Amino acid sequence: MSGLSISKRLADALFEAAYLSLITLFIAFSVIPVIVAVVLSFDARSFIGPFPPKQFSLRWYESFLADSYYRDGLVTSLILATVATLIATIAGTLAAIALSRATFRGRAALQAALLSPLVVPNVVLGFGMLIFASRLGIIDGMTRLIMGHVLITFPYVMRTTAASLVGIKASYYEAALSLGAKPWKALAQVTLPLARTGILAGAVFGFVTSFDDVGVSLFLTDAYTFTLPVAILAQMRANLDLTIAALSVVFIVATVLLIVLLDRLAGLDAIVGRGVYGR
Amino acid sequence: MAVLELQNITKRFGAATAVDNVSFEVERGEVVALLGPSGCGKTTTLRMIAGFEWPDEGRIFIGGADMEVRQPYDRNVGLVFQDYALFPHMSVAQNIAFGMKNRGVPRAEISRRIDEVLEQVQLPGIAGRRPSQLSGGQQQRVALARALVTRPDIMLLDEPLSNLDAKLRLQLRREIRNILSTFDCTSIIVTHDQEEAMGLADRIVLMNRGRIEQVDTPHALYQSPKTLFAADFIGHANWIGGTLSRRGGGAGVVETALGSVAVAPGGIADGAVTLCIRPERLALVDGEAGADTRLDAVVERHDPIGADLRIWSRLKDGTLVQSLEKNVGRDLPAPGSAVTLGFRAADCIVLPGARP
Repeated sequence: MSGLSISKRLADALFEAAYLSLITLFIAFSVIPVIVAVVLSFDARSFIGPFPPKQFSLRWYESFLADSYYRDGLVTSLILATVATLIATIAGTLAAIALSRATFRGRAALQAALLSPLVVPNVVLGFGMLIFASRLGIIDGMTRLIMGHVLITFPYVMRTTAASLVGIKASYYEAALSLGAKPWKALAQVTLPLARTGILAGAVFGFVTSFDDVGVSLFLTDAYTFTLPVAILAQMRANLDLTIAALSVVFIVATVLLIVLLDRLAGLDAIVGRGVYGR
Repeated sequence: MAVLELQNITKRFGAATAVDNVSFEVERGEVVALLGPSGCGKTTTLRMIAGFEWPDEGRIFIGGADMEVRQPYDRNVGLVFQDYALFPHMSVAQNIAFGMKNRGVPRAEISRRIDEVLEQVQLPGIAGRRPSQLSGGQQQRVALARALVTRPDIMLLDEPLSNLDAKLRLQLRREIRNILSTFDCTSIIVTHDQEEAMGLADRIVLMNRGRIEQVDTPHALYQSPKTLFAADFIGHANWIGGTLSRRGGGAGVVETALGSVAVAPGGIADGAVTLCIRPERLALVDGEAGADTRLDAVVERHDPIGADLRIWSRLKDGTLVQSLEKNVGRDLPAPGSAVTLGFRAADCIVLPGARP
């Protein structure tokens, strides 16, 4: 009897130990590279030496700011992510609304088609978009990039908006109509404000996806218009130095700022989970 | 003049006919209940009046105007939803102002009317609150205020009390009645609750399987139902099956398994009928007086229900019947004792057809 309970307790303890080490391992794997990148970005050495560095400086940040190649990439990436997210947010929201009330046959198939950029490899999308754009005679780099990035950010907005629309009772929209609001007004004043957390969350995911993308951009950049990740990739091939570490830190800080901003604007818990009704 | 008129409305969803050739009128200032079990087509009818569904056949007139091509926002209809549908991201005042803004009421007038209507529904001083900060009963009254403030031709209330607990329901039923009569508002109330319909409506449109069974005042519907469904749906009833025949003059006799019963058959044709006797019209009789028909029975049990006692007795043919006795302290026959139950011919409702 007691032997059984001891072995059971032992099994429990072993399981718990395994469980905790798995979590620790997981956290270590996701955090250690970030820490290494952050520390290395302040390395005073001119080469990539053993970790940790003995002396610190801001030389890699200076080199990033001094390098017009990276600067141009950053500006392009910011403009591209903003414009693409804006277009994708409008289109994705409208598509989600349309799909949420559609009753026609093939609705599910259409939804799957619109979400497919999430599962199709970005390299395939980028290559396809390159051929598509050249067939249309579009050779401007920025235009091509915007087209490609709308394609990859759109599903995020559509999916999160669709998810938040599910939680909005049809009676709100109908109440607005019966109170004399035309359909567009009922949408703008009732449905969209209630879905705002889903739309905003989709836009943020979309923005980050666009800002981060290499696969699609690689095909659509030209000699004068290239994104920051593409610039990093090219520099990595040409001359690998720790400017890339400094860039990573800039990336991390930008993302954290975005999340903080979002939390201030809408409340992060509202976006991640509870929605408007939990408050 | 009829504020609302439905002419031969039919609505199908695929192969199913939700509403089948429904016609009725609602007069100015009248409160009409659409009553029936779930799936009887009452909600579909309401949604067609509001403009959210379109009839396949027939016409709807509101204030004399044909609604055939009128969108919901072009109909002057006030709607109170079952879940109230108060906009959660707006304050009470913004909710109430919503309809007036859409209908072009001037700003000063809007704020004056918000104060006025909140006064009328007895919720002054809550204009700044959010719907989530209100109780169910308060939300209900704000929803009423929001619909009433635009001065609609007709108010439509969908199961207005079903989301509230029993006690609050009774209190709010009275309040809704008062509010509707304050506004002298023509109204339609959709409900599956017969007590709600009886307590709120001037007239009841009783529906079953997409068709109208009977349109009558609550009293007449209970007193003289025209169909088995109507008699069964409203109130309690005892049933006796039989065959109606008229001898010579007008007086009818129904031959039943329990003997012949004298009845006043009205316009019902000879043949299979069902007799409906309400429990309060079936009495214990000891003397000779009062009853046209007497039935021997054995008491099975008593259900005390407060002011009344419900007595369940078994008739000779095995049918269980219920009768109501006033709870006035009199000794009642104990279970197992033999009794005689009686009713008058006038208290026996004759309905066409046999019960399934």
